[in-house]
Amino acid sequence: MAEIQGGGGGGHGKHDKKRAKKQSTRVDMTPMVDLAFLLLTFFVLTSTFSKPKVLRMIFPEKLNKNEKQAEVKDGLTLILSADNKVFYYRGSTAKLAREKKDLDVTDFSKNGLRKMLTEYNYSLLSKLTDIQKRMDKLPEADTASRNKLEREAKDAQKASREVIIVKNDEGASYRNMIDLLDEFMITQIAKFVVADEEPDKVEKDLIKKQKGK
Amino acid sequence: MPRSNPSLDMTPMVDLAFLLVTFFMLTSSFRSPEPVVVDTPTSTTKIEIPKQVFLITVTKNGETYIDLTNPNVKSKVFQKVCNQMNVKVTAEEVKKFAGIGSIGLKASQISEYLELEANERTKIVQTGVPYDTSGKRSELYWWAYYTRLEAHKDFKEREEEAKKQKLNFDKSNYIQFAVKADADARYDVVKHVVQVFRDAQVKQFQMITGLEAEPTKK
Repeated sequence: MAEIQGGGGGGHGKHDKKRAKKQSTRVDMTPMVDLAFLLLTFFVLTSTFSKPKVLRMIFPEKLNKNEKQAEVKDGLTLILSADNKVFYYRGSTAKLAREKKDLDVTDFSKNGLRKMLTEYNYSLLSKLTDIQKRMDKLPEADTASRNKLEREAKDAQKASREVIIVKNDEGASYRNMIDLLDEFMITQIAKFVVADEEPDKVEKDLIKKQKGK
Repeated sequence: MPRSNPSLDMTPMVDLAFLLVTFFMLTSSFRSPEPVVVDTPTSTTKIEIPKQVFLITVTKNGETYIDLTNPNVKSKVFQKVCNQMNVKVTAEEVKKFAGIGSIGLKASQISEYLELEANERTKIVQTGVPYDTSGKRSELYWWAYYTRLEAHKDFKEREEEAKKQKLNFDKSNYIQFAVKADADARYDVVKHVVQVFRDAQVKQFQMITGLEAEPTKK
């Protein structure tokens, strides 16, 4: 494709009269450049840069029929509901029925769920932030101390008493679920479970009542 | 007035263009065509998707599509599932199946689908892999079940092979289960699909999300 200008070719003889031919090494690169840019455009348009990211979830093994579910004594139960609403309460459903209080309700805004979770997880969160601060001060090479701090963080997570149970009401979307898991990550909740069962009757009645308002 | 030469030296530009072409060629990986477009929710996680996945796509309407990145395992699983569902397949079909992307059809419909030309396949309306046959094991269950078995076998085989040749073996390179659901899919549908997989003893899932830059939301 490339043609050499001023070479001994037939049609270009305008300037090369009878003098000694001055050989030019210029190559007409236009077609090559065209091609290069075509390819460039193609790859720019088709390539996707960011690989999708993932949230890791581990579900526990299913309970056998004769195994009994551990009872919730002091945990936070979150119930995802329609219209991006989250109902929540602390303690067991028995306590809920006894006290006849309304469920609290919040949403996915910054001052809603995140504020609530930050407050709930305050003791662990402050511990972890403290560890992170100490970690930042350490030099890169000091792996021994770094490992020690990491272990400390893990122990703190293990010892955490803040447990969250997630249930879902009708109309909850997958987006809500992911947002919720994301909030857990941001507020560094160490222990949470996604319940298999639907909200029970006590919870359902309360949600219905609250929605009717 | 001197005659200016209209031709300019394009060499640096061409250098740059080819550099970019090379860069994009080497970094880009091609996506297999997807029969459905799924708009995943976003999160702030920075974990990247594993190299090998069994991908379960859940659409807005709750249909499921499956895909496996490892063609070798994919064809084996396909054969097993077809045996399970009493569907006869030829070796050629099994080979063809490994090459197609996500699929959301019953095992009995797949061979018909494979006969079509690639551009005709996109026109087919897929109804999803059935996952709710109350009481009985659903087709999706068998997909999950055999994938788990075959993935394990594949992992062991590769480990053996690496040991024989005294190569380093990347232990993280095994087939993992990833859920890619539409943000507007109902959560109970996704949960149900996850339950089917848990029945097949799959416990760990990677929920695929888009990237969210800042931990701030509206």
